[in-house]
Amino acid sequence: MDQFIEQIVTGLSIGSILLLVALGLSIIYGSMGIINLAHGEFVMLGAYAAWVFHTYLGLGLLASLVPIFLVVAAFGWVIERYVLSLLNNRPLDTILATWGVGIMLQQAVRLSVGSELRYVQLPPALSDSMDVFGISVSSYRVFLFVASIALFGATWLLMNRTTVGMKLRAIIQDRSVAASFGINAKRVYALTFAYGAGLAGLAGALVSPLKSVSPDMGTGYVVDAFMVVVLGGVQSLAGTVASAFILGELSGGIAFLQNDTVAKAIVLLAIVVLIRFRPEGLFTARVRA
Amino acid sequence: MPSNAPHSSGLQRLIAQLAPLLIVCAIVFALPVLLNNDFLLNKVARYLVLGILTISLGLSWGFGGILNLGQAMSFGLGSYAMAMALKLKTVPVHTGASGLPDFMVWNNVQHLPWFWEPFRSLTFAIAAGLIVPALVAAALGWFMFRGRVTGVYVSIITLATMVVINLVIIDQQSYTGGFNGITDLAQLEIFGVAFDAYGRATYYLVASCVLLSLLVAFAFTRTKAGLIVQAIRDHESRVRYFGYDVALYQIFVFALSAAIAGLAGMLYTVVMEFASPTFLGVQLSLSVVVWCAVGGRQSLVGAFLGAVLVAGMQGALSESAAFLETWTLVMGALFVLVVLFLPKGLAGLAQVVWRWIVQRRQAAGRGVAQGVGQTEGST
Repeated sequence: MDQFIEQIVTGLSIGSILLLVALGLSIIYGSMGIINLAHGEFVMLGAYAAWVFHTYLGLGLLASLVPIFLVVAAFGWVIERYVLSLLNNRPLDTILATWGVGIMLQQAVRLSVGSELRYVQLPPALSDSMDVFGISVSSYRVFLFVASIALFGATWLLMNRTTVGMKLRAIIQDRSVAASFGINAKRVYALTFAYGAGLAGLAGALVSPLKSVSPDMGTGYVVDAFMVVVLGGVQSLAGTVASAFILGELSGGIAFLQNDTVAKAIVLLAIVVLIRFRPEGLFTARVRA
Repeated sequence: MPSNAPHSSGLQRLIAQLAPLLIVCAIVFALPVLLNNDFLLNKVARYLVLGILTISLGLSWGFGGILNLGQAMSFGLGSYAMAMALKLKTVPVHTGASGLPDFMVWNNVQHLPWFWEPFRSLTFAIAAGLIVPALVAAALGWFMFRGRVTGVYVSIITLATMVVINLVIIDQQSYTGGFNGITDLAQLEIFGVAFDAYGRATYYLVASCVLLSLLVAFAFTRTKAGLIVQAIRDHESRVRYFGYDVALYQIFVFALSAAIAGLAGMLYTVVMEFASPTFLGVQLSLSVVVWCAVGGRQSLVGAFLGAVLVAGMQGALSESAAFLETWTLVMGALFVLVVLFLPKGLAGLAQVVWRWIVQRRQAAGRGVAQGVGQTEGST
């Protein structure tokens, strides 16, 4: 029984990291239709930002979260403004362009900071462990879980309860009609992309104490996060949450029964089959085309 | 008023279209005369093989509109088929019963697995290197295109499938050599000709395959099926309303492209003298997309040159680590610029420049003719 609970908790922990990374991707893909292959690099930038703030400014991880969000969001804003907005009606090309941007960011970091592994300290207040359902779990993992849910909540509020969110939803439905009502679509898109990038930066900063920080750390995340978004369904934030935890539990469970490689292969295969039969994702209602 | 454009016959057009292809192939065949260096020749042969791989992507992406992010899967399958046959031809130092490959002995495999058995025949291996990728692609194509999966989702499925196969190959170490791949291979020998990786024979084999793949791909784009494939790329549902079986054509071009990639994979094993899971890795697969986009996805020769130039540049700079790092950064920027401003790649740029030159010459010619006419009129 203990082992079972331990598995569930491991799955939740994997799931919360997946959710953190996937949230920004989901916003960008769901609202703008852009497959952002540079997303992993935004995660990496966030992790490096955490390292820089800590090493050069002596800021703790928790204190630097807001500046990290702003820094990576600024990167995202610039990239949307000067690269992606030029590719308005070429969705396949955005994959290529964002991939190129990702390579540039990776190389720029490698050239300026170096490719050695960097380490970020756990916040001292969260470095102990606590009791959850009778088993001992690191406090930081619990914190990650809470943080991922909180960020999801904030994003949901932003999308559904603010003017910017309403404008964005209007643009998603019909860009030209929205524009004729005086909504500046370009500006809203740039802000959306910046917000998604900022979220990725936060994700990178938050996972940085658990994993080592390196220029190519983002590559693994972007594939996983993408699978979460596809499984959850485009334009469904709640679906993203559900699929993040489903995938977390699934890969945790299969990895326990078989091994990591088999787990990864089975999850990928399942997603391939899913795309074929339900391209709109598990958690979206069918809409009229 | 007669049209000013020269009215060319079909044959003339065909020659004009074939000219760049033949010129490039002539240069490829002439290179060994200029490059009297076996090491360099081997390197060039490597880039040519990557060029063939990129031609195969150009066929499915540029002409079929199918952005296959897992093109290296077919490449890897071809490369393993060749490596398996060449491995069985070696005389290993540590053999178990019945000449087992060394890595199987290390992994305590007692008998040659059934799927290795037929690879004792080189003919079978070469056929498998073409047919297995084509069949896998046809099955995957059937799975996707019968379900009318399009665009981005095709890219995700192909990428994910490749990663799965890559993971399986790494995981099944006792049958595939795992992470290390298959190394220490025998030399390829066909009809008594030995293909040493650093020899002229190998280079000419690769060069002939370049010519062959370019011609096959070019011929396909000019058949009726090839035209329908391009029509599907431009407007899928319109072709469907005409009554064509869209999925069938997509499956065909997808499988043909996979077979060419399989050919490239087999050659790569001969040139590199090993097969490795990185041959069907994400890194290579995405690089192929870059080469294709830079060279020009809608031009077969362009795609080929894109691969040879970019991969060659990268290889030349890889002697120094600092250079390579900077080059990768420049490469990323170049790629973004090409995607933004040259969606048809360098081949598209060359076309624009060529047309501009022709127009200017025509304009100049007309100007002279008019001038002559006026002087004649005045006298």
